[in-house]
Amino acid sequence: MKAAGLERWHAVQQFLFLEARLLDERRFQEWLALYAPDAEYWVPYAWGQESPRDHVSLFYETVQLLRMRVDRLENEHAPLDSPPARVNHYLTNVAAEEDGKGEVAARAYLLFVEHRRGESRWFAGRSTWSLRDKDGSFQIAAKRVDLLDADRDGGHLRFAIPF
Amino acid sequence: MALNDLVGHGRVHRRFYTDPAVFEEERRRIFRRVWLWLGHESQVRSPGDFFTARMAGERVIVARHTDGTLRAFHNRCMHRGAEVCAAASGNARSFVCPYHAWTYRTDGSLASVPLDQGYGAAFKEARARELGLEPVARLSSYQGFIFGSLSPSGEDLETYLGPDVRAAFDNFVQRAPDGTIELAGGRTVQRYRGNWKLQIENSIDLLHPRILHRSAIGAADRVDHGGGRPSIEWDIVKANGLTLREWDGLRIAALERGHCWMGGFLTKAIDAEREDPVQKRYREAMVARHGEQRAGEILSFNRHNTIVYPNLFVNSRLAQIRVLQPVSVDCTEQHGYIFRLGGAPEGMFESSVRMVNTNNSPASIVTSDDHEIFERIQESLATGDAEWVDWSRGLERESNPEGTNELPMRNQHRAWAAYMGA
Repeated sequence: MKAAGLERWHAVQQFLFLEARLLDERRFQEWLALYAPDAEYWVPYAWGQESPRDHVSLFYETVQLLRMRVDRLENEHAPLDSPPARVNHYLTNVAAEEDGKGEVAARAYLLFVEHRRGESRWFAGRSTWSLRDKDGSFQIAAKRVDLLDADRDGGHLRFAIPF
Repeated sequence: MALNDLVGHGRVHRRFYTDPAVFEEERRRIFRRVWLWLGHESQVRSPGDFFTARMAGERVIVARHTDGTLRAFHNRCMHRGAEVCAAASGNARSFVCPYHAWTYRTDGSLASVPLDQGYGAAFKEARARELGLEPVARLSSYQGFIFGSLSPSGEDLETYLGPDVRAAFDNFVQRAPDGTIELAGGRTVQRYRGNWKLQIENSIDLLHPRILHRSAIGAADRVDHGGGRPSIEWDIVKANGLTLREWDGLRIAALERGHCWMGGFLTKAIDAEREDPVQKRYREAMVARHGEQRAGEILSFNRHNTIVYPNLFVNSRLAQIRVLQPVSVDCTEQHGYIFRLGGAPEGMFESSVRMVNTNNSPASIVTSDDHEIFERIQESLATGDAEWVDWSRGLERESNPEGTNELPMRNQHRAWAAYMGA
């Protein structure tokens, strides 16, 4: 692994900011288009969880499952999301490394703030992406978000919008 | 109004869901009296193995003592009341309170206190007998599933469960090709701000899935599988899209003590005829173990949830258990657990993991809608002039109930009234 150069780092950061913005603006189809067809989106349950296959996860989704998730928010009247939640994804401490095999390993700290039905709540986490070069920009091959309180003892109220 | 008057003929009073005083009485008269599921013997195989659990709001430790017996006691130091064990599970020679190092054996008895010359003879006399961690009054297992009761007297576990519920646990274990199961893979915890009874009613309410979950069903309908095999997650979501008439055709049964069960409906997802290599290998392993006929009987045990009143959901076909932990009158946690079937092919457990993710993660696109509705019900029932909630569907057809008959919920309410009136 080798730290990306300044321009490359800047391009990665702009791409991550784009992903955050598309989610925040509920442009879900454009958001999905950032993902490779074989991408996995994973929010583990356990801190330091090694695999989604032998332990429960908050989200462990293929692009097909992500599409179901956002289709339902866009095309139907999901009780969960009416009125629609407003969210901000804040990304800081962005870093990018070339893995030498054509993918970029990007990471950032996440602060996710959600407002719905008269209440606000927030989550802090660490996001990591595997990015592939595509058409002068990037494509997401894998995304993982480790929430600091994923395994909170009392559980979580439901999540609607991906982290 | 007496507590059991909150349950009427085909209706319940809104205080049933909203009154904090009712909730306190439920703790005392129901949750502190019945058998509550704590865990599984696979979590405590060796001496010193332990896990922590909750029952009726109390925090308890379940441990395998050095003599091989199972013990359960409250996770609260007899000195100042601090939590003695902070870990969710592990192996311990003793439990040492972090505050002043009172030290307890794995049967809960007090082993030592520091500088014990600071105490007189009366203390030393008493401590051996009285100052152990307070035991859970009764502990019992059925098919390796560990239950506790905070009541020193009452019917035994097998009687409490009854034959139909025991059959669900029997089938759970029989579905493991080598006859052993192991609780594994962590747990999901969904929290909602509503009364616990909303969930236990909802889980046998067969009229709601097609209606409430229509946004998820619609999204599943629009999926293009591109000729590939549908994912198990898709199957789980899509299964809710039975027509109302199909839901009405499912079998339901109301049992003694408020328990009930419903027939299976996730056939595409988990039956052997699904073109799934893992399911095929699993069926082969079952036939190799039991022979064709017996394997067929075990695998055709066609139930979805078996619901053990007041707070447990058993699903042998999904190798899954859910348990409700009421927090307050308007807040509940639902914990989801999965089991690894001994001798099952690689990939079987992953399917169980993915199914519990789909239905029981806080991010579920199915049950998040249930919990949203529970919260809206909870808010609405807190105020207003309308005092009663309707549960009269099928009241005249209880002897031969159709799938959407509200008999199982009325059966829960009748059990509730019996507990609360006694």
